[in-house]
Amino acid sequence: MNDIVRRDPRSEWIARNRLHPEHDAVLARMGGGAPAAQWMGPNGVIRRDPHAVGFIGPNGIRRIDRSGAQSAGAGGAARREAAAAPARRRVDIDTPAFFIAVVADMPGGRLSAHDRDLLGLARQLADAETDGAVLLVSFGDPRETGLGEAGVDRVLNFAGEQFEGYAPELRLTALGGVERQHAPRHWLFPDSPLGGAELGRRFAARLGERPATQVWQIADGRCTGRGAAGASDITRELPRIVLALPECAEPVADTVHAAEAIAPPAALPQALRRVEDLGAVAVDPAGVALAEAEFILSAGNGIHDWDGFHQAARVLGATEGASRVAVDNGFMPRHRQVGATGTWVTARVYLSAGISGAVQHLQGIQQCDKVVAINTDAGCDMVKRADLAVIADTGEVLAALVELVEGGRKEQRNAA
Amino acid sequence: MRREDIKQVQGLKVAALVSVGRHPVTGRPRRADFDARAVEMGLSLVAPENMSLLHAGECSPERESALRGYLGMGIGALDVLDQPPEADIVPALEARLREMGARLVLCGARGEMGEASGLVPFLLAERLGWSLVSGLAQIESVDGDSMTVLQALPRGQRRRLKVRLPAVVTVDAAAQAARQSAYGPARRGELRRIEGEVTPDAAARDWNTAPAKKRPKRLKIVKAASARDRFKAAAAKAEGGGGQVLTGLSPQAGAEAILKLLREEGVLR
Amino acid sequence: MLDVVLPILIFAALALALAGALRRIGLWRQGRAAPVQLLAGLAAMPRRYLVDLHHVVARDKVFANTHVATGGGFVLAALLLIAVHGFGLESRVLAWALLAATAVMFVGALRVAARRKDPPARLSRGPWMRLPKSLFAFSVSVFLVTLPAAGVLPAGFGGWALAAVLALVVAWGLGEMFFGMTWGGPMKHAFAGALHLAFHRRPERFGGGRSTGLKPLDLNDASAPLGVGKPVDFTWNQLLGFDACVQCGRCEAMCPAFAAGQPLNPKKLIQDMVVGLAGGTDAAYAGSPYPGMPVGEHGGDVHSPIVLREGRALVDADTLWSCTTCRACVEECPMMIEHVDAIVDMRRHLTMEHGNTPNKGGEVLENLAATDNPGGFDPASRMNWAADLDLPLISARGSAEVLLWLGDGAFDMRNQRTLRALVKVLRAAKVDFAVLGNDELDSGDVARRLGDEATFQSLAARNIATLAQYRFEHIVTCDPHSFHVLKNEYPALGGHYDVSHHSTYISQLMAAGRLALGQWSGGKVTYHDPCYLGRYNGEYEAPRNALKGIGIKVVEMERSGFRSRCCGGGGGAPITDIPGKQRIPDMRMAEINATGADIVAVGCPQCTAMLEGVVGERAEVLDIAELVAAQLAAAPAQRVKEEVTA
Repeated sequence: MNDIVRRDPRSEWIARNRLHPEHDAVLARMGGGAPAAQWMGPNGVIRRDPHAVGFIGPNGIRRIDRSGAQSAGAGGAARREAAAAPARRRVDIDTPAFFIAVVADMPGGRLSAHDRDLLGLARQLADAETDGAVLLVSFGDPRETGLGEAGVDRVLNFAGEQFEGYAPELRLTALGGVERQHAPRHWLFPDSPLGGAELGRRFAARLGERPATQVWQIADGRCTGRGAAGASDITRELPRIVLALPECAEPVADTVHAAEAIAPPAALPQALRRVEDLGAVAVDPAGVALAEAEFILSAGNGIHDWDGFHQAARVLGATEGASRVAVDNGFMPRHRQVGATGTWVTARVYLSAGISGAVQHLQGIQQCDKVVAINTDAGCDMVKRADLAVIADTGEVLAALVELVEGGRKEQRNAA
Repeated sequence: MRREDIKQVQGLKVAALVSVGRHPVTGRPRRADFDARAVEMGLSLVAPENMSLLHAGECSPERESALRGYLGMGIGALDVLDQPPEADIVPALEARLREMGARLVLCGARGEMGEASGLVPFLLAERLGWSLVSGLAQIESVDGDSMTVLQALPRGQRRRLKVRLPAVVTVDAAAQAARQSAYGPARRGELRRIEGEVTPDAAARDWNTAPAKKRPKRLKIVKAASARDRFKAAAAKAEGGGGQVLTGLSPQAGAEAILKLLREEGVLR
Repeated sequence: MLDVVLPILIFAALALALAGALRRIGLWRQGRAAPVQLLAGLAAMPRRYLVDLHHVVARDKVFANTHVATGGGFVLAALLLIAVHGFGLESRVLAWALLAATAVMFVGALRVAARRKDPPARLSRGPWMRLPKSLFAFSVSVFLVTLPAAGVLPAGFGGWALAAVLALVVAWGLGEMFFGMTWGGPMKHAFAGALHLAFHRRPERFGGGRSTGLKPLDLNDASAPLGVGKPVDFTWNQLLGFDACVQCGRCEAMCPAFAAGQPLNPKKLIQDMVVGLAGGTDAAYAGSPYPGMPVGEHGGDVHSPIVLREGRALVDADTLWSCTTCRACVEECPMMIEHVDAIVDMRRHLTMEHGNTPNKGGEVLENLAATDNPGGFDPASRMNWAADLDLPLISARGSAEVLLWLGDGAFDMRNQRTLRALVKVLRAAKVDFAVLGNDELDSGDVARRLGDEATFQSLAARNIATLAQYRFEHIVTCDPHSFHVLKNEYPALGGHYDVSHHSTYISQLMAAGRLALGQWSGGKVTYHDPCYLGRYNGEYEAPRNALKGIGIKVVEMERSGFRSRCCGGGGGAPITDIPGKQRIPDMRMAEINATGADIVAVGCPQCTAMLEGVVGERAEVLDIAELVAAQLAAAPAQRVKEEVTA
């Protein structure tokens, strides 16, 4: 819908003229069906009808909503929404006084939530003095389009196949080049396993700088990070290299930045390649350890079609779990048992199929974020625990799920 | 993976750096989980006789019983480099590793006490000029000057790497769990205390260490124009508590509801 | 001619038997030293044999009589044979006595032969099948050669041919009965059994006593082996005990693991220990094998490991970890062999030397060391379940009449219901009680059954130190495992307490009229005896009395009382989780369902958990405390008034 206000002088004139035969009809049209509570009088004075204000509430009492949400027409609401999302302020830094470098993980070429938090933190550090600029250092093919919105002033991308995959030594020399060329005031790395955590520590060791790790707060030139495996907080002067945890700061929301690309250092010294990436190893989701798995499809006594269950797990890409009963009955191996007496799982989504939910089982899935239950018994404990429960035949729902997912994939393939 | 699957490598000298851990619930000293996994990885590679354990730090009776936990995995002796708590242990470890002539050093990804920054392996690799890989799941084979390893990626994925020896590797939760520590070998094993040079850790002196504060949960910030919307967002009840129960649906409709949730959570690939 | 041959035969057999005996004793003495009162034991032996052993044998009346006839007849006949034919004492009376003895023995042998015609599966075959024939050979031939001495037949009757035949048959009989007794024939049980009774490692068991607590290891003695890794690590009287086994298979018939198809057969295990003692393989074993494991693949000797980390030795580790330590085998064994002690001894080696406790075992032991409870829960949350109950802490009061020991069930949501019921009952009876609260640690039961003596002793020592700070008259607990450990195993470590199971205490409260209770009006109720309350502590009556007190008539199961079958939850079996053909709790629930009961009353958190884990149609599982507490609500109103005034 466009935001241009279209005026109809004739209906406005009718609205002003209470004696006009079409007066009520026009008022009603303008007021979205309800009689209008206010209008411009014939001599430009706003007229109000106090009886038309508000609406009759459920218990028969007139309620007046002064926020205007109630009486606003559709067009008005759209206008207000446009006003509610304020345009981001554009900030351009032409000659940076100093750089705060962020080495983002950028999985798949896009900023992760962790990266965005880190850029928010970098923004804070850069904006503490005038003309500080955030320099994003990234590797591989960039696919992210919203770098400016994320708070990036300058982008330094090392493209090329040699930087893809696991190439810590090469990336290290690249960072060394940036260090020599731009000498950032601070280096920020996401403290994420196999991403910034490793590269940041390598880089700190290379530079001989003592980094602050597991940092979750920076204030007044001091930073606080977790120590002793999360059991203590260490507060110290902010060092040059910081490895920060997710949610260390709010991502940038109010400003948009230039995200201007600058050329990487031309000549990098030859890196000594002692680690060679031989590529990903195909891992069967069924082989993933239960405790590690992110998405578990778990079977209980309500499963009768085991082939269908295994197929569903394969199609969904879920790791298989089982209740004690399914294991005892020999349908699933013991190491697939979920629960207090089996494995305590930490999956983000736990899809239980035909599990009634013994206490021990529910204990074992305490740490799961979302629990989905498929069961025929609406009264069982698993349904009570579940965030989403479908009361239907387990086998049929799984079959339908398989069909949907496979159908969706086919469509995608056809579209592509 | 079963232990028998791995061929023991002859003539390889392996060292594991071990530290005193801290139980997450009770805070009692124990084998550090990652370090123990590193030792386990070493034992899958070489016989216990070719495996040396190295600890740098204090040796109080309480810590000693935790260190003996590593001996209980079937290794005869553990070298303890006597270092006061305020010392920088990297120089001492570096000197000792050079002396030992180990070709492969296994470390836990981080300790469970003190700074636990996980920096030691990186500093050692840098100072020794060795290769370094982190987050190993398994060492597949060692031949001559290089080894083939599997690195653990999130969600149980694996990546195969070829690493030049000598190397420092770190091990975290993706590696095979450590074997049980047995009382007998732990009691009999030898703790060899080695005096060494002490380098004070000057940087850490000004630090302020406190028990971990609970981090505030991130709130959803609502950018709203009207006070009413802001009030509504702030007063909105937290989600959860009593899920949605769908009854009387066709299997297809149920499957669609589930699929929607799976897509929202982003677990479908 | 017989006058000459018989003494030679008799004394030759005796001499060989003596040599065999010395060799056998030598074998036993390879074991470690044990504190045994040799002379007192020998003096007590006849009584132990005639009273205690016979008491167990007499559970099978027919066979008890058979054994008295055969065994008694043989002992008498043997002594008289030596006197009459060996020393040639010319006494008609003795000769007639000998005739009578052999006749009795013959009658016994007939019964033995009848039983051997179609023997039940639990009996071993092999050499045991020839035993009735040997008994016949001995009794008949001795009878015949004694007829002349008794004056029934003239001397020299039948000529040399008959004499020669008779001499041969006597030789056979003597060979089996004298020579075989000490050289490893079926009759070995008589010789080794008698000495085993004399030098038993638990002399307290004789004369109606009870001794069920495991013996502590001396962990301060660095030279002592941690458990049993090789047969020589057993004490010598344990080795002797194994040799006493008569392979009657009563243990096998009672063993829940065997019935469930797990790789354990107590009889075979004891026979394997005999193989280990003497050296060789188990190929000669002629009884039921370990389920799913063929005979003949295992072997060893006294100095070789019993269990190998990899590969086969004398016994597989799974066999040892299948045991639920329910003590049914020990209870049934007529030779009073201590199977459970031996199994735990070998488990100690596996856990403390190999560090090889299967499945969740390692994790549980680590949890026990780090958090003092097997589940790894925060020890400070032990009392969370009772946040609304305002339970008095003994640390705040210093003393109480009853110390309520909660056990690790305090962390288990199901058991918390039982605990609440028990608190309700105690409050209704106005019992002055208190709890240790977060100072209570796991009793150490699981650690000890899993062979981790070090963790057990550490937990026990700390519990004993805590208990020493307070004054109380009794400890009451609803966990039979804690009950057993506190009552029977802490004394060896210096903790002596008056401990009762809650069913005992409730039945005492009922008897004293301190509980106003309504009458049961629900369905049929059966009662499942927990092993650690029944067989371990002989408490069969109190739970039944408590149920009777609320008007419940217990419908007994086929296996109840001292023959109750384990729920499968003891000895860390749910933790080590050795697969079988079926699950023990399923079998037990089938027995419960066979009574047609709607409710099974239990007195143990483990039993509750195991029986409630059975899926499908089953009786409801309720603790005695819950049943009693439910009747409190139905009590007359005056009780409420009293509470108001109080």
